[in-house]
Amino acid sequence: MAPPPLGLYVHLPWCVRKCPYCDFNSHETRGAVPVEAYTDALLLDLDRELARAPGRPVESVFIGGGTPSLFPPEAVARILDRLGSRLGDAPEITLEANPGTVDEARFSGFRLAGINRLSIGVQSFQPQLLQRIGRIHDGAEARRAAEAAHAAGFERINLDLMFGLPGQTVAQAVADARIAMELQVAHVSHYQLTLEPNTVFYSRPPTLPDDDLAWEMQNSCGTLLHGYGLHRYEISAWARPGEACRHNLNYWGYGDYLGIGAGAHGKLTHPNGQVIRYRKVRVPAAYMRPGTATRDAACWEVPEAERPLEFLMNALRLQQGFTMSLFESRTGLDGACMRDSLATLEAEGLLRCEGETIRTSRLGMNHLDSVLQRFLPEAVS
Amino acid sequence: MKRIRNFSIIAHIDHGKSTLADRLIERCGALTDREMSEQVLDSMDLERERGITIKAQSVALRYTAQDGDTYQLNIIDTPGHVDFSYEVSRSLAACEGALLVVDASQGVEAQSVANCYTAVDQGLEILPVLNKIDLPAADPERVRQQIEEIIGLETEGMLKISAKTGEGVDDLLEALVQRIPAPVGEPDAPLKALIMDSWFDNYLGVVCLVRIYNGQLGKGDRIQVWSTKREFQVDQVGIFSPKKTPLAALNTGEVGYVVAGIKDIDGAPVGDTLTHVQRPCTERVPGFKVVQPRVFAGMFPVSSDDYENFRDALAKLRLNDASLQYEPENSQALGFGFRCGFLGMLHMEIVQERLEREYNLDLITTAPTVVYEVLTTRGGLLSISNPTALPPGNEVEEIREPIIQANILVPQEFVGNVIALCEEKRGDQKDMQFVGQQIALTYELPLSEVVLDFFDRLKSSSRGFASFDYEFLRFQAANLARLDVLINGEKVDALAVIIHREDAHRRGRELTDRLKEIIPRQMFEVAIQAAIGNQIVARSTVKALRKNVTAKCYGGDISRKRKLLEKQKAGKKRMKQVGKVDIPQEAFLSVLQVDNKS
Repeated sequence: MAPPPLGLYVHLPWCVRKCPYCDFNSHETRGAVPVEAYTDALLLDLDRELARAPGRPVESVFIGGGTPSLFPPEAVARILDRLGSRLGDAPEITLEANPGTVDEARFSGFRLAGINRLSIGVQSFQPQLLQRIGRIHDGAEARRAAEAAHAAGFERINLDLMFGLPGQTVAQAVADARIAMELQVAHVSHYQLTLEPNTVFYSRPPTLPDDDLAWEMQNSCGTLLHGYGLHRYEISAWARPGEACRHNLNYWGYGDYLGIGAGAHGKLTHPNGQVIRYRKVRVPAAYMRPGTATRDAACWEVPEAERPLEFLMNALRLQQGFTMSLFESRTGLDGACMRDSLATLEAEGLLRCEGETIRTSRLGMNHLDSVLQRFLPEAVS
Repeated sequence: MKRIRNFSIIAHIDHGKSTLADRLIERCGALTDREMSEQVLDSMDLERERGITIKAQSVALRYTAQDGDTYQLNIIDTPGHVDFSYEVSRSLAACEGALLVVDASQGVEAQSVANCYTAVDQGLEILPVLNKIDLPAADPERVRQQIEEIIGLETEGMLKISAKTGEGVDDLLEALVQRIPAPVGEPDAPLKALIMDSWFDNYLGVVCLVRIYNGQLGKGDRIQVWSTKREFQVDQVGIFSPKKTPLAALNTGEVGYVVAGIKDIDGAPVGDTLTHVQRPCTERVPGFKVVQPRVFAGMFPVSSDDYENFRDALAKLRLNDASLQYEPENSQALGFGFRCGFLGMLHMEIVQERLEREYNLDLITTAPTVVYEVLTTRGGLLSISNPTALPPGNEVEEIREPIIQANILVPQEFVGNVIALCEEKRGDQKDMQFVGQQIALTYELPLSEVVLDFFDRLKSSSRGFASFDYEFLRFQAANLARLDVLINGEKVDALAVIIHREDAHRRGRELTDRLKEIIPRQMFEVAIQAAIGNQIVARSTVKALRKNVTAKCYGGDISRKRKLLEKQKAGKKRMKQVGKVDIPQEAFLSVLQVDNKS
């Protein structure tokens, strides 16, 4: 069985300020970011990770956070250089950046370091909304960040936009999408604010637009994005043709990925068909301690019974769905094991099975969680 | 026999019956301090928590009076709630006297009045006792007037006590001895004994609490139960002092227990008569009747795996509760369960609570319904205790509902509210009398209106001051129909209720509105309809859920997302599926709550 494509995720866990809705493994800087020490640890981590998947080229790199743009381009260069010949041909290398931490010079530096795609955490262009969700930037800074990215020569830019923000109107949501389009980006991640456990917003919830209003925002923004030639290729991802994020597509295709950095997750398919998942120590200070970065905090095998759910949790997010042969090659299972469930869901109008291809219907896409529940293995071992 | 005094204590909840009993036990030295646990008489935990007595009990005490003689005082405890009025009457039948205990600050309440009347009817000597005179709010003079005006009792020689501090208890004991008559009876006549109560003991089988009217009941006697004609050999007799104390025999006038190898509680019906096989008495103790459940509800285990446990638990409760009835019921919506019959709402609540607490069962109880009589077009008379069993309209000649007489006692300032409530509940006023500052109202009411939420509404419309008691009168023809609930076109049997046709639109609307609030939004629109026959009387719609999908899911950490799915699925599992619609358990109780929004 040919191994799936391989990506690399790099986690840089610091932010200037922790946003009240954010449940990612991110930490406020409180003084200078320990760039050198952390990068040293990352390199050790990377060496070991590369050895975990010997000979397999890294097709995409995603440097996420936190706020990776807090790291100087030189540190990013050190990491990418270390990949050397293990980088595949024409790899996609994305860096997350937040307005308020970047300018054109810094972006140019990242480009020189090897970054060829930027993902900018704009969230909104409305200053009062940005303030309400605890962002450090304002609308003008958000625009400037996108313009600086263009000026630095980046051709592939994603803007993160959120909707369903406290007090947001449909008109404001649409205005944000329009500004994003006017900034000439080919990719938008357009996702609804949700209240996640272990966040400030979860313990002290702000008043959010109700379901019907959020639904209208999603639809109105969708219509606008569509009008600008973007397609919704995943639940929350919009792109012009050919501009989809390849690194994320690999996740959604149940591909493999190495994970380096504090709290980073990895998934690998072994030549014997075993699928393993692992993660690194979450707390940055602990991660930087000698010997820690090269150890998994946890590592487990994904049993066969769990693989259909894991695969579908990812693959059904894509508008194009998946083919049965992809399912079989990525999970090592016989597609027949899902036949009954798929037939039921098709009969209920939640899935469409056309030849080899299986995808959600419109209803199924909007109720993906209900679809996926059917694939939860009955007994959890 | 001359030195026996059989009496019960009549008191409203919280007026201090149990505390007084404790004090009497203590004064007679029946228990050491260490054995004196609070409130000896109410032995079930649930009784203690609710402050009410469910089962009758008795305690025999030895009291040496000022005249130098030692008397046997039998305190016979009586249940204190409308649901158990038959049990009350049987307990009172075993007494020659009663203490009417009234809280000196709260005054007389309807429950005491009702029990007191039963006692008067049975010719008991009643001693009014004012309790809690140590409280600053005590108003003995006002309450004394109430007792005279409302109950019509002479209050001369009324006793004033504080069961808590013990003040006045010695005088009370003397008064008991002097004023309550000794039992009369013929020791040489054939045995005639009343079964006041019976319960199941894991070691002994059925234990009967009896009062001997004539003759003597001894160990080894062969006895017969009047109604069943079944014969038993007496293994043990004795008294509770309050510890169980075996004796050689129980004599005329005494109260005690009998163990006779009776296997189940139906073998010793409350109110029945025991006599000897060899030399039977010629007539039974009057007043016996077979207790009929008046309120029925379906009970279903939330998890179908619990069905067996549920059945076993009901069987165990039934061992001690002859008035509990049950038979298997199969609901399309709720699966396998039991249709259970109860004396009233309190009885139902107690059973439900015991099942959940003592047997760890998670149950869905459908809205309680009363028993209706249905006259069919073919001349048959059916007894309907489940709305789904109502025959189709063209086979029904007439539906009759049970009517009760409600006796309500309410302070004047709230009488308007209470009358409005009774009218709303289709009540028919029979009497209204001023008794001091209170008003005694007599209404005829359909029992179905009372079982819903009448008691709670009565309390809230009178700031808790109104009290209430009822008795069954008759079945009466009424314009009734079954209100069905349809969810996405499918009839949900467990939600059906029998209602008055003129209430159909209001009840239908309240029910559909309430269900709309309870049923969560689903992938598709859910239509809720209330219908009588083929006619839709109300409808509401639960709009479709727009989406149920996690916005953000980057491949990295998928465990959290998985947990979310599990949580969603678990939530769904707790609901009942009707067709494709998931219905939360609360929905099945919503039928109960429709009247709350007035």
